[in-house]
Amino acid sequence: MLQEIDAILLEDTMLSLDDLARSCRVSREWIIEHVQWGLLPDKNLINADPDVWIFDSRSFLRVRRMVAIERDFECNPELAGLVADLIEEVESLRTRLNASELNEN
Amino acid sequence: MEFKDYYKTLDISRDAAADEIKKAFRRLARKYHPDVSKEVDAEKKMKEINEAYTVLSDPEKRAAYDQLERQGFQAGSDFQPPPGWDAGFEFTGQGFSDAQTADFSDFFSQLFRNQMRADPRHTHHMRGEDHHAKIMLDLEDSYHGTTRSLTLRMPKLDHQGRTILVEHTLNVRIPKGVHAGKVIRLAGQGGPGHAGEVSGDLFLEVHFKPHYRYRIENKDIYAALPVAPWEAALGATVKIPVPDGLVDVRVPENSQSGRKLRLKGRGIPAATPGDLYLVLEVVLPSAATEKARKFYQTMAHELAFNPRQNLGV
Repeated sequence: MLQEIDAILLEDTMLSLDDLARSCRVSREWIIEHVQWGLLPDKNLINADPDVWIFDSRSFLRVRRMVAIERDFECNPELAGLVADLIEEVESLRTRLNASELNEN
Repeated sequence: MEFKDYYKTLDISRDAAADEIKKAFRRLARKYHPDVSKEVDAEKKMKEINEAYTVLSDPEKRAAYDQLERQGFQAGSDFQPPPGWDAGFEFTGQGFSDAQTADFSDFFSQLFRNQMRADPRHTHHMRGEDHHAKIMLDLEDSYHGTTRSLTLRMPKLDHQGRTILVEHTLNVRIPKGVHAGKVIRLAGQGGPGHAGEVSGDLFLEVHFKPHYRYRIENKDIYAALPVAPWEAALGATVKIPVPDGLVDVRVPENSQSGRKLRLKGRGIPAATPGDLYLVLEVVLPSAATEKARKFYQTMAHELAFNPRQNLGV
């Protein structure tokens, strides 16, 4: 008998700053700085106390992507942010292209 | 277990200097980065490249690996580490965590994993590490929820306190409303905790399998709705299957191909659900029979219809 386990949508519980930092293996400071520099989608958090910040799926995936780009290419955060922005833009355009059935593949 | 040629993976010579190794890694990382690469198997390639770089960029690991090669092991040859092969080397797990190296080959874990774990600096870890993976779901799963069986390679501590990789199968109950771009969390299914601490969590990034009928944009769904010319012209109520059952849809009169009908709230379920868009596609009956040909000829005569009027011809 296989073990059954419930999956929980991240949006139902959200992640705290510490959860996000631990899960993505970066420091709290790494996330705080990236928020302050406007490199994460959570720009509205800047004026709040980091201890009450909460993050959703989008922020989680963005942090993972930024960490991988900064590590693999040893590049500065702004460049990683630019690359991540472009990747997300391409993803969104591909999704729309696909939905409008213009994509012949 | 096969011996791996890490130099070949990075396409460098055996005497490559540290900065050449780094350059080669970056060049390949750009080519195979799963976010941008168009290469087939980009993700698998990226893992191999990361693995080779983890070994060759670390002077201790590289020296130990080179020594094995000097003992006559070659790429593809059957390999078991000879006893004491790592004597005199000290490995530290720099750059990549347990969870990342869990993706690496058996060859890597046989050589370096236990040594990394044996380092006392790695045993004061508290809570287990969180792990990350992807899961492919069908669109219909979003509407009803589903249970999926998932097989993962997880590091576990054996009775001697060493880390070994074991396959682990789980039945995962996925709630409805989960869709591509979201992350789901399985509490306690990550890496094992140390010194009695709790295990980490497993985070799964959700992707949809391509669907033959539906196109998906965030929470909205698009599907073609084929209609007969008279249904489009005169208006009609037609039955059509949608992801959560059958619906009757009213096609307004004088509709053309491409017209979008919105079924509000029939997209992916959520507190604010998505919408379902049906895109009309007028399908002509073939003129294969004499009767059909006559109908078309009558229309041509009676309707005086020029679809190219706007083109000035």
